[in-house]
Parts: sequence; C-alpha cells; structure tokens
Amino acid sequence: MMTQPLRISHVGLRGEVGRGMTAAHVMDFAAAFGTFLAEPGPVLIGRDPRASGEMLREGVIASLLACGRDVVDLGVVSTPVIQHAIARRTRRAAGGISIGASHNTAEWNALRFFGAGGTYLSTGEASELLDIYHLRKFSYAPWDRIGKLSFQEDAIDRYLDELNIVFRFDSIRNSRVIVDCTSGTSSIILKRLNDRFGLRMLLINEHVEGMRFAHEPSTSKRVVALQLAPLVVPVGASAGFLFDLDADRVAMATEQGEPVSEEMMMALLADDLLARGPGKLIITNLSTTALLEDIARKHGGRVLRVPVGRQAATDALVTYPPEEIAIAGEGTGAVMMPQFRFVYDGIAAMFAILRMMRERGKKLSELVAAYPRYEICKGEVPLVSQKIPALFHELRHRYADGMQNTSDGLRVDWPGTPETGARWFHIRVSQTEPVVRVYCEQRGEPPQALFEELLDLVKQYAG
Amino acid sequence: MPDESGGHVRHHSLKIGVSGIRGVVGEFLTPALTAAFAQAFGTYVGAGRVIVGRDTRSSGEMLQHAVHCGLLAAGCEVIDVGVLPTPTIQIFTGASGARGGLAITASHNPPEYNALKLFGPHGLFFNHYERAELLDIYHQSSFRHAGNDEMHSVSRDLDTPKRTHILRVLKLIDAEAIRARRFRVALDGVNGAGSELSVHFLRDVLGCELHAISVDPTKPFPREAEPRAEVLGELSALVRDKKCDIGFAQDPDGDRLAVAAETGFVIDNDDVLALAVDAALARKRGPVVVNLTTSAVIDDVAARHGAAVHRTPVGEANVVEVMTAVGAVIGGEGSNGGIIHPGVQLCRDSYTGMGLLLDRMQSTNQRMSEMAGALPKYHRRAGKVGFEHGRLGAVMQALEKAFPEAGVDRQDGLKLNLADGWLHVRSSNTEPILRYAAEARSAARAAGLLAAAAELLRR
Repeated sequence: MMTQPLRISHVGLRGEVGRGMTAAHVMDFAAAFGTFLAEPGPVLIGRDPRASGEMLREGVIASLLACGRDVVDLGVVSTPVIQHAIARRTRRAAGGISIGASHNTAEWNALRFFGAGGTYLSTGEASELLDIYHLRKFSYAPWDRIGKLSFQEDAIDRYLDELNIVFRFDSIRNSRVIVDCTSGTSSIILKRLNDRFGLRMLLINEHVEGMRFAHEPSTSKRVVALQLAPLVVPVGASAGFLFDLDADRVAMATEQGEPVSEEMMMALLADDLLARGPGKLIITNLSTTALLEDIARKHGGRVLRVPVGRQAATDALVTYPPEEIAIAGEGTGAVMMPQFRFVYDGIAAMFAILRMMRERGKKLSELVAAYPRYEICKGEVPLVSQKIPALFHELRHRYADGMQNTSDGLRVDWPGTPETGARWFHIRVSQTEPVVRVYCEQRGEPPQALFEELLDLVKQYAG
Repeated sequence: MPDESGGHVRHHSLKIGVSGIRGVVGEFLTPALTAAFAQAFGTYVGAGRVIVGRDTRSSGEMLQHAVHCGLLAAGCEVIDVGVLPTPTIQIFTGASGARGGLAITASHNPPEYNALKLFGPHGLFFNHYERAELLDIYHQSSFRHAGNDEMHSVSRDLDTPKRTHILRVLKLIDAEAIRARRFRVALDGVNGAGSELSVHFLRDVLGCELHAISVDPTKPFPREAEPRAEVLGELSALVRDKKCDIGFAQDPDGDRLAVAAETGFVIDNDDVLALAVDAALARKRGPVVVNLTTSAVIDDVAARHGAAVHRTPVGEANVVEVMTAVGAVIGGEGSNGGIIHPGVQLCRDSYTGMGLLLDRMQSTNQRMSEMAGALPKYHRRAGKVGFEHGRLGAVMQALEKAFPEAGVDRQDGLKLNLADGWLHVRSSNTEPILRYAAEARSAARAAGLLAAAAELLRR
C-alpha cells in the first residue's frame, strides 16, 4: 500500500498539496470549523513558511469570513505562538487554525484546529467537526453579516514576554547555544529574541524557506547527528538544538557534539518538573522510554501511558486538574508544560533544558549521563490491514508472561527490579503512514535479539 | 425607459453559465463554489499572473480570498489590485501583460448579490467559445492542482491600475481646456468601487469644482445600484442646488454612467451614448457599433459625421467583438449606460463617458441641456415578462406576421425595423425574462408598437 496523499481524521486535514489535498478540501474543512464553533469571538490563524501555505491561508480566510467569523491573521508564526495568542486574548477568541505540516516534508501541508483557550480539540469535538465536514452543511452568514479580516503583528513579542517571565532571558545572556532552525518559524522567533533581549544564540539554516528546506524537517536523532551535532564543538557551544518547521518539536546535541536520543527531551524535563512538584503525574504514550517510570519513582510521581498521538494525550490532560500534572509529551521531542498552557512547544522546552543546566550547574552531557542508560530499537514494516487482528492474536499468546496493554496495538512490559530495570516492546499500526511500528527498549544493552524476533514475526503478517 | 412589468418573474439565486457565476451570497454563492470557479479560470488561462480586484460589496473581501485560493491552487500568481472599477481592472489586465483578470462585482445588481467577471489576456471578455471551454473545465472539475514547488503568492498593486486608466482617458480629451473651464460637477458614486477614483479624476485631474455624494467605499449602497433616472433624485437636487454644469452617477463597479443636465434632468441613456458618439466622431471618424436595442438616434448622429453603424446582439461582449472586427472608433449599449472607446479599453467605462462629455461641453461651449435638446427626438418604451419556455418562437412568428412590411433582424430574438420606428423582442441573457422594446418618432406610435408586442406576449 502506498502512502496516501490525503488524510482526514480527528487531528484535522493533512495531505500532499495538489496531489491529495486540494483547495476544495481546505475550504470545506475551514467552513466546517466556522460552523462548528459555538462561542462568539474571532478565529486566529497563522502558518508555517511552506509555499502552499498562502493558498491554504486564502481559503481558510474566505470560509471563516463567509461563516460570519472575524479572522485575525498572525502571519508566519509557530503553532505554539498561535495557541498562546488565542488563550491570551482578553476579549475571548473562539478558536484558531494552524496552517502547517510540522515535521512533514515540503510537499505536505495541514490544518490543525484549536478551541477557545488555544487547546487542542477533544475527541468528541473533533468527531463533531468531522461530521459537519462530511455532511457539508455549513452555516454561511447572510451577505450583510460576513466577517472582517484583521492582522496582529505582535503575537511573537507577547509570546517572548511570557517566556521571559518564566525563564528570565537575562540569566542566559552569556550562554552560547547553536540552533538549527530547519528553514522554519523558529528562525523568526529566535532572531527577534536575540534582537530584543541581547541574546547570542547562533542560528543556522535560519533562512526561512517555502520550497526547499535546508534538510528534512525531522527531530530524530539521525537528523541531529547529520546536521547539527558536528557543528557544536567547532563553534564552542554549550548545547545545540534543532527544531521542526513549526517549532512544536525540538531535539538536541551535547556540548561534546553528541546527538541526544529524542527520548531524552521528555525524560530530562520530567525530572526537572517533578523535582519542582513531587508526586505529580507524567502523561506520555505507550511508545516512550521506560526511563520515565524510573524518574517518576525517584520523585514519588507516576506515569500515565496513553495511546500514541496528540488526541489521546489531549483527552487524558483534561481528565486531571492541571496542578496535578507535571508534564505531558512523547519521545519524539514534543513536550507540553503546565506553565505554558499544555501546548507542544519546542522553544519553551529548549529554555527549560537551558534553565536546568544552569540551576544544576551541569553540562548537557553530564545531565544526560546522570540517568540509567536505556537503549531503544525502532522499526517499521509495511501494513497489510487484513492481517493485523491475527498478528496481535499471536503476539498476545506468545508474550503472555509480560504485562499487556492493548489500548493501542500491544505493549508488553517486563518491569524488572530497580537494579535490572525494565524491558518492554510496543507494536502498533501508525495513524499517519501505512506501516506497523515496532518499538523495543531495555536498560543497558540494546534488546537486539527480542527486536529481531518481533520484526520477523511482524513481517510474516506483512504479505 | 419605463418598465411595464407583466407576468411572473422567477428569480435566480444562483446562476452559473457562459457569462460566469452570479448569485446571492451566503446560502447560494459560497466561497467554495467561487474558489472552484477561480481554479477553473486559473486552469484555463494557465499558470501566470492574474489580476484580481473587486467592488465595494460587503461580501467582496471574503470572495476575493476565495478567488485567491482557487487561483493559487491552480498555480497562478495573484496581483491584488483592491477595490477598483471593473474597467480599471480590465485596462490593467491588458496593460500588465497578465494571463487574465477577475473582477468580483455584481455590477448593478442589489447588494446581496455578487459575481465574477472574467477577462482574458488583453483584459477583454472571453468570446462565446472560450467561455464554453472554461465552463467545461469547471463542470468536469478538471483543474490544475499545483504542488508546493509550483506555488506562487499574492502581491498588491493599488496605484498603477488607477494611473494607467486615467492616462488612457486623458489621451482622448483636451484636459487642459477642460481644467480652464473649471466646470461645476455633481457626482453620485453610490459608495461604489469608483468613489475614490472619480473624485480624484474630476477634482484633481480635470480641475472641476466637485460636489460629491456617496463616495465612501466603506458604506453600503445608498440607493438602487443601477443608476436609473427614478433613483437619482438626490443627484438632480444636488445639480440644481449647487448650480452644477453637469451631474454624473455611477453603478457600483464604475462601468455604467448616468448623466444629469444642468437643469437636474436625468438624460436618457441612449441620448448620453449619442452625445458620446458625437464627441468621439468629432475627433475621429470611423465605424460605430451598438446593440439592437439601442436608439436610432445613434444612426442620426453617425450620419451627420458620415459614419457607419453596426448592430449586434445585446451584451457587452457582443458589442466588443464587432467593434474589434470593424475597427470601430466608439460603441456601446444605450439601455445600460455603457460607453466603449477602444482608445481606453474595449469595455464599458464611465470615466470615458465623463471625459468625452466634459470635453464636448468645453469644445462646443454648449450647456448639457442644449446638447441633449439638439438630438433628434425619439420615444422609447420597454417592458419585460416572466419567461415561459418555448414561447419566444411563437411570439416572433406572430409579430412578423403582424408587421409584414418590416425589415427583419434575427441576431438576437426578433427586431422589426419599420419606416417610423422599431420593435425588438428577446430573452434576457442574465434573468429568466423576455424583454421587449419599441421606439418611434411619436409617443403614440411607440406606445402602439409596445402594446402590440405586449398583447401577443399575453396570449
């Protein structure tokens, strides 16, 4: 099965522009959102720098105005900036739309929807939006009640003001950090940060691009090793960070030029935030490192594991009081922190790491080395949907000795003791690509034998 | 011309046809449909520059974003020229070498309507066959879908189009002489797309003492959008109060023009066209092209200059096609206040009309009422009736039989040319109605001809 160039789901509209996603999809989805919104107030929009973003923007604006919604265009900004701008408005905004495909390659684009307060839509809300989209009965306003378009220029400045309150930029004025902006929106934000607060962040791939990004916009360890890590030592930086296009994800490299596993972003910040609020909850997905359980144990906290994807995390977040949650996120480098309204925000995560280094007086390599070593193996096998039930049936029988969680494919845990550490695997069907993903992790050496055994088994069901 | 409506008239809330799309915004004319039509247009003209502007309707901004979306999706580069008269957009489309242009305007229709007017590479309307091809692309949804690598963006140019338009009009007239006269001019801009340009043109460029009403493009239309004599009372009063030499009224997209004499009397549209024809022929002799329903006064004026008159089916595009074919020096459509001068652009243009009339007043030293009064006097009557499919043929045959002595013209419905007048019956291009019109030297004969047509249509 080929990767389909269009995906319409609970997380919104995503596709390869021209080949899968057309202007008609964009306009209908935006009209569905305009119809769906119950609360009064404007809709805030922004986009990443993809060339197709302008086409999507025009369509989104037309449909929202036609539904009688005023639209505030924030321009080319990161997704977190849009979400914070929605939440910050004194006269409440009804919601927002982010135009951008984050870590996908340049041909792709997407619409992501936010409710009042800048929050991700719950599964229930997203279902309703999808129903309206499929029904195509949109509530267009009569000709004399069409909305008005306006522009907001200071969304990035207001965002930086908020970050400054928590992270106090003057305290890191002298630290030398190298940042790979991947031709994306982090460049616009961090240039402004350098100018306004006198910081000396060294930006590379900072030319904002609509068609040919400096490199693949992924925050995987592989990309960090290739693009960023070799530069850290030569420029004498204390750390290196790398963002995806819309700066909701971040990855890092140590001062020694070593790429850090993408799993460690979440782990380090969990340790930092749990230390500030012992006993709190870590919300993460089933595919993320077991180091989180070790860290939770250290601070008397606990880990809630939910299915992979933003939707499950969003639904879990709203079932707990915010003051009981330390952090939410996943091993991809996408992390949400309570001080920042539980928004996936790579830039805030970067500053939290820098603050941790300063407060603990440690180098980044020392911070990373302070934890038990876990090794994770990740693989994927082409999907044959018909065979999936039989695959999971066999997996459940073969690994009946472990603790099983079937909320998203199958995760099997062998928790071990505090001395030996945990060992687990997670096999699931991807929501975004036609593949079965296989994850396997243990403390110490890589779980190579188990990983290969699992891959062989999954391949038997791959046709 | 007074309308004598009869029968039931159906209203089309949405019409998609060879003349583009037009409809009531909201439930009927949606942004999605508009974007799809724009994408069909972009597919048809090809990836390249497209000029987009609009009139002042409240739905204009919304629809313009939809048009941008469709054009960008087809891989076009968009030049947004903002709120501008339709002729200004057409002129700039031609002058800038763009692939095509789009005006978002429902012209003289009520404010709840909007529409797309589509122009080809030279800023001209597409011909019938081109429009059919474009419509096929729309119906088949066989759009070009540009990928990220083929995407272009939207840029703005708010000034060049206006400058280009004014320079074109100035080439036709003696602006220096007009300025020297410091004419007192009244203007009713209907708060339309021409509001700002008209004030600039009359006051700053032609040095007139301007008394303007309804020239705020942010406000709704203060009167019926079509500048008919019946709705121009305010303009007439303004002309009399301020002792103006002339009064002008535009429609929302600045292609149609109505004119009031210094007495406040709103001059019949056919006579306005006749005066413009007179002015143009006085500067350069050549063929004149008007539609079948336009008054015979045009023939009289052209005859004075020894110029030939060509008649076409009703519709601006038809007039323009023949103007191109015969190399006309001026043309237009009497009934809708459209004056077309090829020196400016082959499209109806109220600025051309204003310029030509002021220039004529300046060069002849006559008052407007004198100039209009000197035209041969014709009486015109018109009516319309709800369309009943299949009726037109029978009516045409019966009419022909009733007037066996008439010369027959079947280009557009049926026109009977009589020794002392004419009678014309046709179906409207834009509304589901039959229109009929008659003209004669005497009021009684005109009324008699119209009554004959009305009687046959009632049967």
